[in-house]
Amino acid sequence: MLEIRGLTVAYGKHVALEDASLDVEQGRMVAILGANGAGKSSLLGAIGGRVVPVSGSIRYRGRPLLGMAQHRLVEEGIALVPEGRGIFPALRVEENLRLGAFPARARQCAAERMEEVFALFPKLAERRRQIAGTMSGGEQQMVAIGRALMSKPDLLLLDEPSLGLAPIVTREVFAALARIRATGLTILIVEQNARATLELADHAYLVAAGRIAGSGPAERIKSDPAVIRAFLGGSPAAAE
Amino acid sequence: MLTTTLILGLVLGGTYALLALGLTLQYGIARIMNLAYGEFALAAAFLAVALFQGIGLSPLLSLPGIAAAGYGAGWLLYQVMMRPLVARSGGGGRLETDSILATFGLLFLLQGGLLLAFGADFTSISHLERGVDVFGVPVAANRLIAFAICVLAGGALVAALRFTRWGLAMRAVALAPGSAPLVGIDVNRVARQGFALGAALAATAGASISMYQTFSATGGVVFTMKALVIVIMGGVGNVPGALAAGFALGLIETFVATAIDPGLTLAATFALFLGVLLWRPQGLFGART
Ligand SMILES: Nc1ncnc2c1ncn2[C@@H]1O[C@H](COP(=O)(O)OP(=O)(O)OP(=O)(O)O)[C@@H](O)[C@H]1O
Ligand SMILES: [Mg+2]
Repeated sequence: MLEIRGLTVAYGKHVALEDASLDVEQGRMVAILGANGAGKSSLLGAIGGRVVPVSGSIRYRGRPLLGMAQHRLVEEGIALVPEGRGIFPALRVEENLRLGAFPARARQCAAERMEEVFALFPKLAERRRQIAGTMSGGEQQMVAIGRALMSKPDLLLLDEPSLGLAPIVTREVFAALARIRATGLTILIVEQNARATLELADHAYLVAAGRIAGSGPAERIKSDPAVIRAFLGGSPAAAE
Repeated sequence: MLTTTLILGLVLGGTYALLALGLTLQYGIARIMNLAYGEFALAAAFLAVALFQGIGLSPLLSLPGIAAAGYGAGWLLYQVMMRPLVARSGGGGRLETDSILATFGLLFLLQGGLLLAFGADFTSISHLERGVDVFGVPVAANRLIAFAICVLAGGALVAALRFTRWGLAMRAVALAPGSAPLVGIDVNRVARQGFALGAALAATAGASISMYQTFSATGGVVFTMKALVIVIMGGVGNVPGALAAGFALGLIETFVATAIDPGLTLAATFALFLGVLLWRPQGLFGART
């Protein structure tokens, strides 16, 4: 569904991502793991049209994607939940979700989709009239994910959905991700919480210092000693 | 006496509210502080008068066309003059200073054009001046009509912003332009619409002012200043706030003119402005859009 070849992203002279290639197949969940500053957000930003790459190609459903304006990508079915969420804090939860259905592709059946989002995140239903910015971090993340789902995406890009959340809230978010994944939606996720992410993902890429340092099925990555040392903490034996 | 002040004040306030609404839209949505705003209103006023004196077209009938022309002019101005500034600013705060400088220049360009076309004399028309009885107060029909236009146009805009998908997108861009593309909103297009709509409101206000006020080609800056005072009083980007502050300013000016001295209205306006800036810089009504 998504084919990335030789993607390079730079900010001025600083090269954040170099020569990255990556594939996401329809219906799969693919994880990107890497340390802080490795270039994960730059990769996701390039796919979502937030940053313009220096070189490389991105093909989506066989068509080139580069150069398309960010708002057009949403119409193409690519929804990004950026790091920091990007919600509208001064608007109500419900208004945020309604804005999610702003793209022409999503206008039909927006009400039903909102019910689906409320079923996924019951807390949002209770708080539908609340100003989004006054909600807790976890609830705001739910708003951000719910809003992305409102746009009826074919490909969901998630940048560190558990960032800054308490463990119990993180579990809640991952439980929701499991349910979203079960609907067959294609997901590309960047996460620090490698263990929980690899439980859900089919495939994973490792990013280190701006380069793709490795990739493989999530099962294999999970038991790779180097990965365990770098991301999962403790010795391979302790990870069992 | 008090009823008279109240009614005349509200009628004047309606025009002010509409005038301020356009400026707050342009600033809130397109992030352009348009110092040539008053010239837009003035150009519309001159156009209404020219159409009335030239071909006998009542301002009431020419108003929809003038509003549409205002929209078109705003659209074009955004496309030609503002787009490069927006592109250059890259979404940063630089647009505000750049737009202030650019529209300050535009102010003199438009003023020169108006002087050239219509001369420096004060202009007014007498049209629909028959008095109408409002709660025992005789009010000229043209003022009442201008008031009705302002209330209708302002009310329709507020309702559209609050209740339609279009309005929600406008508010989203005003509140978080960086996040709007995430939901498929074309920020540039919305900003252009907001700017053009603001120009249409300026034109509407200008055409309705032409029905009952005397004005001259150099008076645009007073319109801009009053609109600015109202916008800041109402809270920048706060549409209901601008409406309420517009009415408040109309009432205060009328009260000062009748109870103290007509020469003091402008001074009163700016005293109020200073007071708000010093004690409630977020506006009289908080900060929510
Ligand atoms: N807008 C920017 N301007 C300049 N440099 C940037 C910008 N955004 C990112 N960078 C730099 O690019 C590199 C990669 O950043 P990126 O945000 O992609 O990393 P990341 O893997 O997402 O990190 P984190 O886990 O902390 O979110 C970093 O060195 C960062 O400082
Ligand atoms: Mg990041």
